[in-house]
Amino acid sequence: MSPQGRLALTVGGLAALLVAVAAAALFLGSAAISPRGVIGAVAGRAAAESVESVVILSIRLPRIAVAALAGGALAVAGVAFQALTRNPLAEPSVLGISGGAAFGVVIGQSLGLGLTVVEAVGLTGFAFAGALLAAAAVYLIAAAGRGVIQIQTLLLAGVIVGIFSASAITVIISLLDFNRLGGVIHWLLGNVAPIPPGALGLFAILLGAGFGLVLRHARELNLLALGEESAQQLGLNADRLKLTIFTGAALLTASVVAFAGPIGFVGLVVPHMLRMLLGPDNRLLVPTSLAGGAIVLLVADTVARSIVAPAELSVGVITSFCGAPFFVYLLRTRYRGLM
Amino acid sequence: MRAAALAVGLVLAVSPPAGAFSARDMLGREVELAAPPARIVSLVPSVTEALYALGAEARLVGVTDFCDYPPAARGKPSVGGMINPNLEAIVALQPDLVIATTEGNREETFAQLKRLGIPTYLVAAHRVRDVTDLIARLGALTGSQHAAGPLLARFERRIAAVAQAVAPLPRPRVLYVLWPEPLIVPGREALVTELIRLAGGESVTAGEADAYPRYSLESAVAKAPEVILLANHGANTGPIDEPKWRRLTSLPAVRAGRLHRVEGNLVHRYGPRVVDGLEQLARAIHPEAFP
Repeated sequence: MSPQGRLALTVGGLAALLVAVAAAALFLGSAAISPRGVIGAVAGRAAAESVESVVILSIRLPRIAVAALAGGALAVAGVAFQALTRNPLAEPSVLGISGGAAFGVVIGQSLGLGLTVVEAVGLTGFAFAGALLAAAAVYLIAAAGRGVIQIQTLLLAGVIVGIFSASAITVIISLLDFNRLGGVIHWLLGNVAPIPPGALGLFAILLGAGFGLVLRHARELNLLALGEESAQQLGLNADRLKLTIFTGAALLTASVVAFAGPIGFVGLVVPHMLRMLLGPDNRLLVPTSLAGGAIVLLVADTVARSIVAPAELSVGVITSFCGAPFFVYLLRTRYRGLM
Repeated sequence: MRAAALAVGLVLAVSPPAGAFSARDMLGREVELAAPPARIVSLVPSVTEALYALGAEARLVGVTDFCDYPPAARGKPSVGGMINPNLEAIVALQPDLVIATTEGNREETFAQLKRLGIPTYLVAAHRVRDVTDLIARLGALTGSQHAAGPLLARFERRIAAVAQAVAPLPRPRVLYVLWPEPLIVPGREALVTELIRLAGGESVTAGEADAYPRYSLESAVAKAPEVILLANHGANTGPIDEPKWRRLTSLPAVRAGRLHRVEGNLVHRYGPRVVDGLEQLARAIHPEAFP
């Protein structure tokens, strides 16, 4: 089958699955609403003030949208960082970049920024700055003295920057009043919540921009996989490409951290599963990761909000529970030489 | 003087609010209500306690997992925790008012409830007069003024009795440990700080900024407290770490064996049981005055 045919088939299949999962998530929740009630609310037949209408249209639907957007963004950021570093274990949280963004957000939050559209722009700015700083630090640590960055060195640099960010966050938390502590810690666990329509629109625009940057250069990322020298010989400006991809991936990561908190491992698990299915072609991986990540985080969030109802778990807890063993599995099977 | 101020506050607060049923909450926000609230969700354990004490529990349709007093409150449908209440569960209870606090709930929750069209009444209490204000407000809000009056009169009588008993006594330096590790103490804005003063002690951390700041063990030791009060959380649970304090034998409080446990829920929550908390503190600080 031609690459275009495979792409169309896979993206179509994943999109159909995403719609099915989203529809199922719409029927699940602690407010026991009958399937008939759900359909009525979606079709606009329920009164605007009714429980069905409020729960389905103002709580479940925006939450599903945030989960799908955030999941897709994290998976695409994962693909981008993996291509960029030519390292299959790279991922925003493993590389410490989520941590840097989280530090930025905690600073923004301690200055009183919330999720009105204007404040959300500021919060994302703080997250982006934090992500850039963390990435620059990881790069400088890993590349120190040598041209080629080894997998181990990069992972260690990520761990170092991650620990440093966590400590920086702890400093700020220590100065917070006891009463505000719970809220910040709750956010740090990674939570998908229904956010206001304006902020949701902004979130979608930011992610669209980041996704566009990565998708447009997916073909060149394949060339980069051959090694920078070969890529240069094929007429590729490797430095500019890396900067572009890096900006896109950092924007995706920073936006998710600003709007939902640091959520780990989606960017590792999803691209790997898709690589097993589709091979290493980034032209396939980027769009399919968008859909795949959306599905994975949506499922995780639906589990998070129904498993201990009426209480809720943080979705970041679920992804880490599943992602950490997956990471171990990858290390033990595919990257044995590293251990 | 205090009693007079309380009485004036009481009269002002108990008189029903003007207008159909719009009220101003404790943060000064206007809360628009079509009618007196008949279906209230409480996200605050203190408010839950106060509504029961006022006999207004029939209007309470939802509580949090932390609303454990009176025991009957456990029987009300829960909407989850204070930090992460379940929005769906709240909407499904069809409340006409949610009562929440700026200390323990999250601002995101208020914003979300606002978007969902559910009026939110915010409460906060840093002083004993805020507690009486809260009870009076809840009485007016639920049409239970008749119960609020006697409840507050009893409340005030018991406070006055404690104040009278400890008035002639020396005021020992008290270290109140809200949480041992990290060490968290009551500061200037905490209700406990005022309760300690009313109970005839001087909190050594009364000058600290905020309500519940972190504090270093060294600074605590340097203040040479004569009485140390270790708060538990819930029914004798939570970390107390009494041995850690017993080892600090240079402290006057430890030498004199003046290490006491207190039930935190009575003094951290700002419900009607605050007066029980005050009496408990007074007995711990001045056992000689309460044989």
